[in-house]
Amino acid sequence: MAAQRDDEAGWSAEAARRVWGGAVPLQVHLHDADVTTLPPPPPFLTLGPRIGYLPLLVPIIKAHFSSTLPPGIDTVWFEYKGLPLKWYIPIGVLYDLLCADPERPWNLTVHFRGYPSEILTLCDGEDSVKWSYMNSLKEAAFIITGNSKNVMNMSQADQGALWQSVMKGNLDGYMNISTRLKLGPFEEDCLVRTSSVEGQQGSDEPESPGSGKPCRVPVRLYVRSVQEDLYDLEDALPVGDWESISYINRPFEVRREEGRSYITLEHALKTLLPEFFSSKASRIPDDSETAPQAPDSAPNDDSDVTPRSCEKLESSASSSPQEANVANKGKIVKLVRVQGIEVDMDIPFLWVANNLKNPECYLHICVYVGTRKREPKDGR
Amino acid sequence: MAAVAAEQKKVVVHFRSTGNAPQLKQSKFKIGGNEKFLKIIDFLRRQIHQDTVFLYVNSAFSPNPDELIIDLYNNFGIDGQLVVNYASSMAWG
Repeated sequence: MAAQRDDEAGWSAEAARRVWGGAVPLQVHLHDADVTTLPPPPPFLTLGPRIGYLPLLVPIIKAHFSSTLPPGIDTVWFEYKGLPLKWYIPIGVLYDLLCADPERPWNLTVHFRGYPSEILTLCDGEDSVKWSYMNSLKEAAFIITGNSKNVMNMSQADQGALWQSVMKGNLDGYMNISTRLKLGPFEEDCLVRTSSVEGQQGSDEPESPGSGKPCRVPVRLYVRSVQEDLYDLEDALPVGDWESISYINRPFEVRREEGRSYITLEHALKTLLPEFFSSKASRIPDDSETAPQAPDSAPNDDSDVTPRSCEKLESSASSSPQEANVANKGKIVKLVRVQGIEVDMDIPFLWVANNLKNPECYLHICVYVGTRKREPKDGR
Repeated sequence: MAAVAAEQKKVVVHFRSTGNAPQLKQSKFKIGGNEKFLKIIDFLRRQIHQDTVFLYVNSAFSPNPDELIIDLYNNFGIDGQLVVNYASSMAWG
């Protein structure tokens, strides 16, 4: 058991290290309007840390283009295929969301003039990014603990050190401070582990005494509509404006569920985004809850139980095909991406939350949804 | 079903001034849940005739302007309302 724990810790550390080390190769082009020299300057190649933010790259990018910039005050912003990029969204998330078929390097355009302030909020460089980061961290803390005190009570020195570690991608420095905030990891036992062991007892037994209060996992979801009949991601139409992306902040409340040894990513997503899955699947009928407990829910056979119980849920969801089709209204989840990974939907959600979250303790999930053409309702 | 309700749901926003920011005559307003936080920021600016105003939820944090009001209410609402504190200068760093 202890060995298993160590193993798990090892894997977690490895996953976090990979998330923190992840970077998107960027090829940054200076926008024509800002070019004052002939020939125009070559594009600038750099690595954008997945957990980083575009404005933090401005100093090195500006240095590269400095000789060609027009005189005046810089207001720097980035654009991809005509879409101004929101600077407070982590680089990795922007890439996963906007580059359906990952292009390497990712070709971005940088502007030093003409800030589109009707689309983007103003960014005053690093200070604005730090401000946004700290606020997100406080939001996450509120969701997890019910208040933001542990973040607000940090000393200025600790806040500064925490931010520096995020900015420099220094995981060890980050862990030193962030563990004191007690914002994770999320434990399986505030949920179902008990229920799989005691699963054979009645199905409508209220919360077991040991299960504690339900914990909430902060999640930011980015739902992008793509063509319903999209076959190759390469053919996805570029995102024309931010209105076509639904930006949804919904915590996942970890609740005890009968007949499951753990919560799958698929179950979490269906709960978080009922409108993008068939309504049948999101409201799981009670009788399907008891069904999967049958003989195969042997307590020790965790890995086996969940996929099967999921299949059962699937089949019960599609047992009335007509209804499911109506509910779907042509919305089909095509792709789910977290930290650049097309994640297996059977993976335990809490593993994803603990290991693939960003340093502000939010789990960012990009969801591509196939949608019938031009249904204005869909872009909120 | 939750989705449909969310689209139409209105949220009670309770404004509270902090520091020397001007008070509002009326402190509670209903705002559509599918609006963004930006709407609250713009609304308050017009109400107090000041362009520089810092808004916080629960005296703690400033959400980014793209966050949906219904999400803020569901995540941070207290006693059936979303408490928004506002100040003329930065109040909670």
